[in-house]
Amino acid sequence: MEALERLYFRYFPEKILGEVLTKRWSDNAVPVFATLLVIGYFLFQNPHFFTFSSMVETSRQLSEFSLVVVAMGIVLLAGGLDLSVGSVFAFANITALICMNLLGWPVWASVLATLTVGGLCGAINGFLIGYLRIRAFLTTLVTLIIIRSIVDIIILRYAVQISAGFPESDLWFFLGEGSILGMPVSFLVAVIVVGLWHVVLTRARAGWHISAVGGGRRSAYNAGLDVKFTVFTTYVWSSLLASLAGLFFAARLNSAGSDTGVGLEIAALTAAVLGGNSLGGGRGSVMKSVLGAIVVLVLTDSMVRVGISGGISSMILGIILLLVVAIDVRWLKNRHKILNKVYVSPAYFRLADLPETDAGSGSPYALNDRLKDVTLIGKGEIEGPEDVIFDRSDNLYCPNRHGDIIRFFAPDYKRWEVFAHIGGHPLGMAFDAAENLNVCIGGMGLYRISPDRTVSKLTDETKRTLLSVIDDSRLKLADDLDIAPDGRIFFSEATIRYDMHDWATDALESRGNGRLICYDPRDGSTQTILRNLQFPNGVCMAGDGQSLLFAETWGCRINRYWFEGPKKGTCEPVIGNLPGYPDNINRASDGNFWVALVGMRTPALDLMLRMPGVRKRMAKRVAQDEWLFPNINTGCVLKFGQTGEILESYWDLGGKNHPMVTSMREHKGYLYLGGLYNDRIGRLKLPNADPLWTSQAFYWGDKP
Amino acid sequence: MKGVLRSIVQRLTGGSGEYSITVPVMDGALKPNNYLDRLPAVGTLEEPDNLVSDGVTAYLTSGPTLYRVDQLGAMTATARETAPVTCLALSPSGALAIGLATGGLRILGGRHDGKVFGIDDKVRIGAPTAAVFADDDTLVVCNGSAVNPATEWRRDLLGLGRTGSVVKVDLASGAASTMADRLAWPSGISLAGGGTVVVSEAWHHRLIGLRLDGTAERVALADLPAYPGRIAAAAGGGYWLSLFAVRSQLQEFVLREPRYRREMMASIDPKYWIAPSLSSGKSFKEPLQAGGVIRLGIHKPWAPTRSYGLVARLDEQLQPVWSAHSRADGERHGITSVAELAGRALITARGSNELLAMDHTELEEPLDLHIQTEAAQ
Repeated sequence: MEALERLYFRYFPEKILGEVLTKRWSDNAVPVFATLLVIGYFLFQNPHFFTFSSMVETSRQLSEFSLVVVAMGIVLLAGGLDLSVGSVFAFANITALICMNLLGWPVWASVLATLTVGGLCGAINGFLIGYLRIRAFLTTLVTLIIIRSIVDIIILRYAVQISAGFPESDLWFFLGEGSILGMPVSFLVAVIVVGLWHVVLTRARAGWHISAVGGGRRSAYNAGLDVKFTVFTTYVWSSLLASLAGLFFAARLNSAGSDTGVGLEIAALTAAVLGGNSLGGGRGSVMKSVLGAIVVLVLTDSMVRVGISGGISSMILGIILLLVVAIDVRWLKNRHKILNKVYVSPAYFRLADLPETDAGSGSPYALNDRLKDVTLIGKGEIEGPEDVIFDRSDNLYCPNRHGDIIRFFAPDYKRWEVFAHIGGHPLGMAFDAAENLNVCIGGMGLYRISPDRTVSKLTDETKRTLLSVIDDSRLKLADDLDIAPDGRIFFSEATIRYDMHDWATDALESRGNGRLICYDPRDGSTQTILRNLQFPNGVCMAGDGQSLLFAETWGCRINRYWFEGPKKGTCEPVIGNLPGYPDNINRASDGNFWVALVGMRTPALDLMLRMPGVRKRMAKRVAQDEWLFPNINTGCVLKFGQTGEILESYWDLGGKNHPMVTSMREHKGYLYLGGLYNDRIGRLKLPNADPLWTSQAFYWGDKP
Repeated sequence: MKGVLRSIVQRLTGGSGEYSITVPVMDGALKPNNYLDRLPAVGTLEEPDNLVSDGVTAYLTSGPTLYRVDQLGAMTATARETAPVTCLALSPSGALAIGLATGGLRILGGRHDGKVFGIDDKVRIGAPTAAVFADDDTLVVCNGSAVNPATEWRRDLLGLGRTGSVVKVDLASGAASTMADRLAWPSGISLAGGGTVVVSEAWHHRLIGLRLDGTAERVALADLPAYPGRIAAAAGGGYWLSLFAVRSQLQEFVLREPRYRREMMASIDPKYWIAPSLSSGKSFKEPLQAGGVIRLGIHKPWAPTRSYGLVARLDEQLQPVWSAHSRADGERHGITSVAELAGRALITARGSNELLAMDHTELEEPLDLHIQTEAAQ
């Protein structure tokens, strides 16, 4: 059973499913699937369904129709609705025909006139809806009727003249029937327009404004956007695109039929929503509109060919519209719920048996109360000092959860000031040779603070992993760092799947979600060295100039990685199977290393790590506050030697002073303790430590 | 067939009915407070368990030792049994029935002094969890489980124990009759007037009423957010119900995960199971839930917890009127019994190994019940 579960969770890509759902393009999955299904069905019905000539003819229709659908999509994206597209389409058709056939204008003038008329219709809609705040549905319904009546009046009066006239223009003919490299002109124009709109909506300011207004009108207003103008422009663009479509229609058919564009608004709306544009606004794209247009067009075309009568095919379209609207509403409402349920994606992980920790057991981890005599610094004044470090004048630096670096002044550490404000949640810190303070900041990246308090960003991105679904190029949770003698900064990124505030949820996955990254200040490059690590945390130079030690928190082990020398690029475990979760690692004055255990393993969780299915169901069904968690309420400090043997342990039995220890730093005979969720820093006199030893001098030598 | 279908539907629809892991919220009469944490302690002793009283004298058990408690709360050891005592009952004439962890009950004092019941195969009472004298000659005993002893209550819960029973013993003849069986860990009993008793059925989170002649059975109070334990009649009318631990979503979830449950019971020390407990925070190997993480030195009172202190004051109809709590950040967890002595209620708190005294015994809730603590503000 356990073996089966292990195989399933190793090879079944459940994690990808959750990640895909975080993507906006996941909305397109349904329409793409529908497109393939529809085309596949008719192809199956008749393999000769799609011939080249029918494809060309369809592409002409498609270019007109998709322009109208894109128009509808833009209005929908801004949270509106344009029912008048069909009438505007017909109006444009008749305008173009009058200009060409009746007035005998040149093509350029006719095109200009047609687009102007269309733009004016849109401006009326836009003014009424955007500035006078009349409801979009009512307004465009009324303009639909009015414009349609105008078209009918014109047709009534000029139909005969229009049919009689025939424009003597090759260009006009070219517009309607011509092709370039086998592609119909209208199709090429449509592709260009659609491409431009894609760029506008995804990359340009105007497009973002449209999405913003549709996503939240009030928020957009509060953010300083001109909401009324944005809404106005969407209707203008909508009508312009519809009249462009009408122009092509006129050039192609040269017909002044009274049923031109009737029912086009329903077909366009169906296509837009079917494609995945949300009726509520804020979610949509040009590609979605085009996909929807293809599906609807293929569907209606095929229905005609199969021989379904017009009435029934309209009914089918109507039913599809109802269906997709219902799906759209339910999907939008429940998407984040599904996402919540499938995002946590546990992996199988089996730890070795828990080492003995009982007092008097003779184990190096045996409980004691050596941290009992800790004195406290800044109790109740600081929040979340994850790390502690000292400069050459013995001043103490610690981060807090508000994004500051706090400086406590030597010698008594009673007075403090905000040394620098950066933001994010500063975590691990290290001084370099030039006395700059380098800080890993959760949510931001790697930053540097110079002695004169200038804050500069070193790096906040690395190369994106090939074939990763979520964009992992940004540093989500830079955690701890250390600096090699040549100045290179090696730092850990604990997880790429969770933010700072729910870092511990990563434990439920126990998958290698973290990375070890190197920033090289000599050329400013950032490179991922190791990936798929289980919450890589503390980083510390091993002291030989060739390797470093790093902790994998949820893996309960400490590894050694060689970045230089004969073993360059290899990584091997130094300590495995710790009784708790290792956090920061730092040097001790006697040549050994300190490591903090941020929390302790519990048998109940160790067992659950072997049952990813149980964890997955727990994440789905149990409220987040009730999840079984790693016990990060108790911690301890260990000292280990170069080869990984555990030398000493320091415990706080009652857990009163230091419920959590994430970091410790030895400085002049004292050990200083930091904790991510603590409101204090602990200070412990070390009996046998070198009272002059400082890590600053140890790393970079004595300096005045 | 219908039952099987319903069970499948309930399982597939995200867990409803039997598969639901929802726990009722503490609200109304069970609204949380920190009243228990504010009570004075009148004594400390290891693992105080069952406290019984006739209003003048009280007896208290702690491990194998029986204590007599005087009106000031002073305790004197009066007897020592061969095994830990798991329940205690006091007859109208002053005789005691003592249930033992090894099974069976022994009568101390009165007409039937020295008699032992429930150890032969015919009437086996392996897990006496609570008992009450219907009269001097009749004892009604809750037998928590036919499989597990009384001290292994966690194992019974995680084993989905449904083998408990209520047994009526005629002390003169030694004859016993089962009043109700297939109960989910009956763990408290009290006379309820009119020839009935009320029994708390812990793993079903409810109180049921039984007739002494063994005829009818009814649910008196259901859907409790905690596991009900012993019940004692209050002098001013109504009852005291001690609820020894709270339910939690995680617990309900684990109860519905057979493989995890089995593995946990087989391979982990019971102290570190995902199981309710009478005290918690003693070891870092105990499971922790996300809300229980201490932040900036504060353990949130609302945090999910393995142990909790809860006493409910019930009215004559067995409906809760008010309740005294010790929440996740408190110490007085694992309330095992309540008894009134000399005008005040004595409460045994296993979590803090204390005997607490509460002056307020009326049915109306005390005026100072809901005082905010600094941490909760």
